[in-house]
Amino acid sequence: MHRFGALLKILLINYFGISVRQLRDPVNRKEYLKKLGLGLIIVVALAPTIVLYTNILIKGYEVLAPLGQAGAILTLGMVLVSALVFFFGVFYVVSLFYFAADAESLLALPLRAWQVLGARFCLLLCYEYLTALPFLLPPLIVYGVKSGAGLSYWLMALLGFLVIPVLPLSLAAIPTTIVMRFANLSRRKDMFKIVGSIFVIALVIAYQFFFQNAAPQNMDPEFLQRLFTQRNGLMDQLSGVFPSTRYLGLALVDAGKLIGLLNLAIFMLVSFLGLILAWFVGEKFYYQGLMGSSETSARRKVLSHKDYQKLTNPSSALFAYMLKEIRLLLRTPTYFMNSVMTNLLAPLLILLPFYLQSRRGITMPWSNLMNTPQGQSTLLVAVVAIILFITGSNAMTATAISREGKEFYISRFIPLSYKQQISAKILSAYIFGVIGALMMIVASRILFPQSVLFMVLLLGVSLVAIIPILEAGLLIDILRPKLEWENEQQAFKQNLNVLFSLLFALIIAGVIVYMVITFFHSLLWAALFMLTFFTVLAALLYYLLMNWGITLYQELES
Amino acid sequence: MIEINGVSKSYNRATVKAVDNVSLTVNNGEIFGFLGPNGAGKTTLIKMITGILNADAGSIRINGYNISEDPISAKMQFGFVPDDPNIFARLSGIEYLNFIADIYQVPGSQRGSRIKQLLQRFDMLNAAGDRIQSYSHGMKQKIVVIGALLHDPPVWILDEPMTGLDPRSSFDLKEMMREHADAGKTVFFSTHVLDVAEKVCDRLAIINKGKVIFCGSMQEIRAHARENESLENLFLELTEDA
Repeated sequence: MHRFGALLKILLINYFGISVRQLRDPVNRKEYLKKLGLGLIIVVALAPTIVLYTNILIKGYEVLAPLGQAGAILTLGMVLVSALVFFFGVFYVVSLFYFAADAESLLALPLRAWQVLGARFCLLLCYEYLTALPFLLPPLIVYGVKSGAGLSYWLMALLGFLVIPVLPLSLAAIPTTIVMRFANLSRRKDMFKIVGSIFVIALVIAYQFFFQNAAPQNMDPEFLQRLFTQRNGLMDQLSGVFPSTRYLGLALVDAGKLIGLLNLAIFMLVSFLGLILAWFVGEKFYYQGLMGSSETSARRKVLSHKDYQKLTNPSSALFAYMLKEIRLLLRTPTYFMNSVMTNLLAPLLILLPFYLQSRRGITMPWSNLMNTPQGQSTLLVAVVAIILFITGSNAMTATAISREGKEFYISRFIPLSYKQQISAKILSAYIFGVIGALMMIVASRILFPQSVLFMVLLLGVSLVAIIPILEAGLLIDILRPKLEWENEQQAFKQNLNVLFSLLFALIIAGVIVYMVITFFHSLLWAALFMLTFFTVLAALLYYLLMNWGITLYQELES
Repeated sequence: MIEINGVSKSYNRATVKAVDNVSLTVNNGEIFGFLGPNGAGKTTLIKMITGILNADAGSIRINGYNISEDPISAKMQFGFVPDDPNIFARLSGIEYLNFIADIYQVPGSQRGSRIKQLLQRFDMLNAAGDRIQSYSHGMKQKIVVIGALLHDPPVWILDEPMTGLDPRSSFDLKEMMREHADAGKTVFFSTHVLDVAEKVCDRLAIINKGKVIFCGSMQEIRAHARENESLENLFLELTEDA
């Protein structure tokens, strides 16, 4: 246990960069204050979104409380957090358990697998609390305040908050650990790790799909009646994806009663069982999955004349640089998982819950709205906003320079102008951006069948909308690239540019959503407004990038 | 030809002068050695010549092209081998070489045969299809050297090129440097090993603490070292290094 504690302490210091002893040093203190200031800026920037979320929850409470369904807002928060924890969990587990630079070096220390895994698991929990905070705190507070809950509610809420990420994180860790064990057997480990991670995510999506299908399919009046007349029936429905949240929800609704305590006990027990299972699997498979996972094998085979002809085909310098960017993004597991996969999977994961609900015949509140002109313009801007969010969060351009790290000198000495290098970086990210946008468009088409005109407008706006987000990302990375890193993880995970790029996308999304909902109530006008807005923004940022950006790029020194 | 004129570079807000008012001319047809102990400023100067770092003062011309005013033309003139072969590890050797060939616009007609010929010379034919991450340090060094020579640049700039090379490849590279210079072109290379410099260079410069303290042929240096105590000490230090 002592070793476990020591390891956890070191990991926390290493990953969060906080240690009390270091804080006493004035130089370090200045650095911390800088970080703190940056954190504050982020909180302030996120505040409007959280206020909006809280307002929706308050309205939701007021509508649902008379129906005896107020608990649904709790479940909504919990399901959302569980889904996020799980989704990020798969990525985090892969990157932190297997790809981290210190992962292999720990193999040489006299530690048991569960100690290493446990310490990393706790580290991940800390990350997940940060993820959960903005989503779970508002519903817990809104429900507690509105219902005038007593002390027992608040104690249970605190306990629930601390335990809720355990189950989804365990569920993410178990299949990942098993798949990684077998991925390690393969010769092309990089590729297998990527394929393995995709497999895990697909497995879970499939599970959810079938699990949800088992629920009542048709929306008969009786079912509907039961849904709304049964106390907290809506809560039961929402919690279908992560059943354990149902018990926590019920516990909170009946806090202070025996039945509440019983539900809490069930919730704790289920979470604990998940943890035990993850522990068992970890002890059995983790070390075997990790050992030699960074080794690469080679064929050492002489290429044939045909190979040479194929592999030495000439192309333009711009295209060659673009191809290099794409190859590195696809072949580096960390970049692939964080950038490319986010881009491809996010649309699916955002829309899947809605799709599953609609399959079950639950009428979404927007169904009737969709046929009105205002409904269509709202849907258009909503889908575009999600595309902006996805493009901002995949950080393909916001890490484009940072990713080069020690190889940055190559960009400095090759005879390719900075203008062309910047263009190649934007273009390669644009290709992935377009694929992501297409995924989102197809997904939304399945969910909300719309006219051909709608789809064409959506496509047109989306293809322009992602450009300014990519340009801004690259500008951010030129302004403050993180070139000093030891492993690829740091270029992404410990790079605030990812967050800044996301913030920019969120702000722009906020602006267009506000403008369209307030001023543009027809589909065509909304599309025209957005097209103009994004074209002007893209042109402006292009000008900035090609003038100010290039000057800054020239001054960058590794 | 490389012309370096009054070049300086400081770090840490001008408190540390890494290169201090250096002027040098490397002529066509010569192998020029750049010699100095570790941390003397060799790599910093080379990074400025190649455009990786911007000079604080002075000018650098490569075959007449100013590196800061006409960077693309200047960069087309040279092939560069850095001291630490950090290159795109997830590309295969052949992909890396083709990337370099595209960037330097090596014509398609000569490309395949040139790549093959260089791979053969450095005994890398059987590794070209594998990812660079599977290479040993020496193999990485070789693939970087091949990349630098691919577009047949008139000027070679090599930063500690022998480090990590096996004796055979090291010998081959020295021979190629000689051939290149004999064809009337320029080779500029840095080393901290006096022995290497002595055997290969036509002329050399010695740098210490950012300043060039001597520039001339090996015989001139020896003669000079007898009269100048600080040069003699440095010379001894370099000899010991070898």
